[in-house]
Amino acid sequence: MRYRVSHATTYTYDDDVTDSLGVAHLVPRVLASQRVSSTAVEVTPTPVDQSHDIDCYGNTATYFQVTSAHQELVVAGSSEVEVSMPAYDEAGLATPWEGARPLLDPTLPDAWLATDFALPSAAAQQTAEAHAYAAESLLPGRPVGEAVTDLMHRIHADFAYDATATTVTSTVEVTFRKRAGVCQDFAHLTIACLRSHGLAVRYVSGYLATQPPPGRERIVGADASHAWVAVWLPETGQWLAVDPTNDQWVNDRYVTVAWGRDYRDVPPVKGVIFTEATKSTLKVSVDVAPV
Amino acid sequence: MTVLRDYAATVTQPALGDGLDNTGRYDEVVAPDGSLRPAWKGLAEVAVGLTEADLRRVQGEIGRFLSDDGVTYAQPGRGHGRWRLDPVPLVIDAAAWAPVEVGLAQRAELLNAILVDLYGEQRLLRERILPAAVVLGHSGYTRVVARAEAIDPRPLVLAATDLGRDADGAWRVLADKAQAPSGIGYAMENRRVISRVMPELYREAGLHRMEPYFWALRSALLQSAQGDLADPRVVVLSPGTHSETAYDQAFIASALGFPLVEGSDLVVRDGWVYLRVPGRLERVDVILRRVDAAWSDPLELRGDSQLGVAGLVEAVRRGRVRVVNGLGAGVLENPGLLPYLPAACEALLGEPLRLHSVPTWWCGEPDGLEHVLDRLGELVVSEIDGRPEDLVDLSPDEIRARVLAAPYRFVGQEPLPLSQSPAWSRGGARPVPVTLRTFTLRYGSAYRPLVGGMASGWLDATTPTSKDVWVLKANVGDADQGLSGVLPMTTARSVPMTVPRVLEDMFWFGRYSERVEDLLRLVLAAHALSEDFGTRPRSTGGASLTVLMGAVHRMAGPSPDAADDLDADFRSLLLDRSRLGGVAFGLDGLRDVLRGVRDQLSPDTWRAFGTTDRAVEALEGSTHSHQVAESAGRMLTGILSLQGVNASMIRDAGWHAIGLGRSLERALQVLHLLSATTTERRGIDVDREVLNSVLVSTESAVTHRRRYRGYVRPAGVLDLLLMDTDNPRSIAFCLAEGREHLAALPGSTGSSRPERLLADLLDQLAAVDVAGLVAIGGVERPNLVRFLDGFLITLERVADAVAEVHFASGPPPRLLGSLGMALVSEAGS
Repeated sequence: MRYRVSHATTYTYDDDVTDSLGVAHLVPRVLASQRVSSTAVEVTPTPVDQSHDIDCYGNTATYFQVTSAHQELVVAGSSEVEVSMPAYDEAGLATPWEGARPLLDPTLPDAWLATDFALPSAAAQQTAEAHAYAAESLLPGRPVGEAVTDLMHRIHADFAYDATATTVTSTVEVTFRKRAGVCQDFAHLTIACLRSHGLAVRYVSGYLATQPPPGRERIVGADASHAWVAVWLPETGQWLAVDPTNDQWVNDRYVTVAWGRDYRDVPPVKGVIFTEATKSTLKVSVDVAPV
Repeated sequence: MTVLRDYAATVTQPALGDGLDNTGRYDEVVAPDGSLRPAWKGLAEVAVGLTEADLRRVQGEIGRFLSDDGVTYAQPGRGHGRWRLDPVPLVIDAAAWAPVEVGLAQRAELLNAILVDLYGEQRLLRERILPAAVVLGHSGYTRVVARAEAIDPRPLVLAATDLGRDADGAWRVLADKAQAPSGIGYAMENRRVISRVMPELYREAGLHRMEPYFWALRSALLQSAQGDLADPRVVVLSPGTHSETAYDQAFIASALGFPLVEGSDLVVRDGWVYLRVPGRLERVDVILRRVDAAWSDPLELRGDSQLGVAGLVEAVRRGRVRVVNGLGAGVLENPGLLPYLPAACEALLGEPLRLHSVPTWWCGEPDGLEHVLDRLGELVVSEIDGRPEDLVDLSPDEIRARVLAAPYRFVGQEPLPLSQSPAWSRGGARPVPVTLRTFTLRYGSAYRPLVGGMASGWLDATTPTSKDVWVLKANVGDADQGLSGVLPMTTARSVPMTVPRVLEDMFWFGRYSERVEDLLRLVLAAHALSEDFGTRPRSTGGASLTVLMGAVHRMAGPSPDAADDLDADFRSLLLDRSRLGGVAFGLDGLRDVLRGVRDQLSPDTWRAFGTTDRAVEALEGSTHSHQVAESAGRMLTGILSLQGVNASMIRDAGWHAIGLGRSLERALQVLHLLSATTTERRGIDVDREVLNSVLVSTESAVTHRRRYRGYVRPAGVLDLLLMDTDNPRSIAFCLAEGREHLAALPGSTGSSRPERLLADLLDQLAAVDVAGLVAIGGVERPNLVRFLDGFLITLERVADAVAEVHFASGPPPRLLGSLGMALVSEAGS
């Protein structure tokens, strides 16, 4: 599938901002299952400085600085991508999950590369509750593909999608308590569950192309950024990408932008501003249009 | 008996039940047979003659020197305390030092190569020479500077390594410090003090002097600049005056002649780092970093940090600024690496590791975990990025549970017996365990260890006293530090810095020192009256005393003692650091602002506090009333000595800021004093007595006598203290002087707001008719009251306007999204 993706974040302030520095993750990655034909990141007002860099996980990070006084800052990414269905080696999926733990088996090929995603990270606290919850899916000897898929089904069944339940900084503990959250919470929850048993899991940020209800027009700008996870499959070097929010494996409707240990490694936009302003509003508009 | 003989006897024949456990410990001074170690033999003649009385004197002098130099070390939560220095140095002879020196140079080269690899190619991880988890699981691993190819080929410029001796006397590595190693400033200060208090011993020793190493450090930092700059700008980035090692940072900055800056003094533009000088930006090429990496950039590292510079990481990645040590160097402060260093050394340098570490097992490996769990009671267990003290209160079972929960986070280490050396404590020299901090610098193309260091004698498990380290030369003619080609520094003083923070500190230097001086003069005048009339409140003198105390209380708040005990009031003014507006409070404030600009000031500055501290001690130790005057007088001497320091400063913006602060504060104090003393009529005798005291406390008595032939009247006093343009204590004089200082500050235009306000005040003053001011209405002088009140308000406004125009450094950095945020549309699905 081919898509034209645009993702604009607009900050407005009640007073002048004299200096804004930011880092954005808005440029989709090139993958075996994803070709990227054009990309652009545009910041308004015109930055004095803007540059692209490939970070330690291979993501494209865009750095920018705006030094003209402004009360509105727009960071807009746009790109054209072609996505195909990811393919996984059967052998990798069939490995018992106990054989996919890089800290315990550091001699496995590429275990050193997976290690960073097996260690704890701040936004995906490995609580005792997460460990116990995951144990029901991680039965002894169960193939890793099956175990992860089962966990995905259970999270989808047990947790409600509710945008009011959590905030962007909510913890795994809160998600468990409320039994609800959004994609970011479900991704962190899945990461905490699997890492607490030694598996290596990535937080993946990107987009999911939505289909309008039958008979309705597609509404431009009503899409959203999305997040899911990818689990390390030993021996093959592949990562099984699953979406607990929608209870499915990632397919050719998912556009992958960036991955890291958790949300904090790859937020779409983060920044530091110098201002006396006390209030701001944030507006996000995402559109994933089939072409 | 002399101290060393006593010590030798104690060490070789431990008395029963003396509580010292010397068994199995290598002694630095005495060999097992009771003879002196070779390093001490050359010193024997002088050293052996030292008696307890000598050492007691030396210890006292050390305390005085350290106090005069203002040497402090802050412990978390306890504020700045005095630095401790033991009189007996750690002495190492040339033959014993040589292998340590070679080992340290190799180690620094290895550590640098490890950093380059871990933040670039990662061959060590791919080939499993280092376990990935010991690196990636360490909080010092800084991913934002890890790239496919290393950004910085020399991330390690200055390393510190802590050593301790094994039972057989061999030096072993206890830990490496690479984040932002501290201590070299303390080492230099230790040497300076010891060489002054024990000159005979120092001369006799034939040891390596330290100065050339500082020149080399300076040159190494200048050469760290990227590209080929003729005159690179180097700054020392400090977390601020409340940092544990603020003294060390300021010492290095001023000894090397580089400005000491804080994060808020720097700004990133266009990927370059600049110093925020008013009106322009000055590019910074090298940052000697004393802020931990995690706090260095709120944009890409800890977002809650106010100590860093937003955009610094990007500037580093683009190679536009060199940060020393590199931002990722903290990962080396990791005992989990120790077991793997021999293999890493073979892999990266192709040679065997020379200096061995204390035996260490990493629990992330099954064998290491088993070994550590088997020996939990014997080994010292710590987290790979924590301190052993963190776990000291836990039982073995609690430690076991923690280790098992995340084995890769822990190591177990063999406790090292350490060597012992005499340390002076509780009136005698007794053997205490010692550790040695060494420093290694990348100079030119090689690493050079400091021939010397800083030793710590452990009086108990948590109380160290530092010791100078004397490494003796093999031959008298050897070049100091083995550095014959280094050029001595031409400038010792830092380049003047006029960032707003520094100007503000300088301004308050002026204000606090003036405030303390004026209050001390008033206290002295009041105390003199109290000695005569304190017990006779109804006498003329007693009534005057009441008026003067009213002036004191106007400045320093009411007496905390409800019983109106004068002596207690005076003591509280001089000693109580929590009495707002008091002398002790003002001295604390003064010390605090001076710490922030320490690199800009002469070291003599701190003598003032040596003097005031001793005056405080004397007052605390005596209950006599006359000691109040004695101590207040000595405090005044100390404060006045600051004016001497001030007089020999370069006439830059900082100097003018001090002058401006002093002028404005003096004018404010005179106005307050006049308000408290001259606006009310109390009878001719009392008024005369009060006016006399006012003249004394404003140093104007002599002038007044000359001009008015001793006939003290309000009009004369007001003329002298308000209008007289030749009297440096008059308002007219202070404001005129203040106007000149203000005009010299960067940002002054001739018509800036503070300049306009000040000009108005001078006009207002010129129009004053003193005869009209003193006119009487009832018991008051209503015109005078109105005039003084109005003038005070406007003058306060001048001071505020100065702060707004000259010291404002703009709004602080905030995280995007940290403001009261209203989300208009949802960010995630």
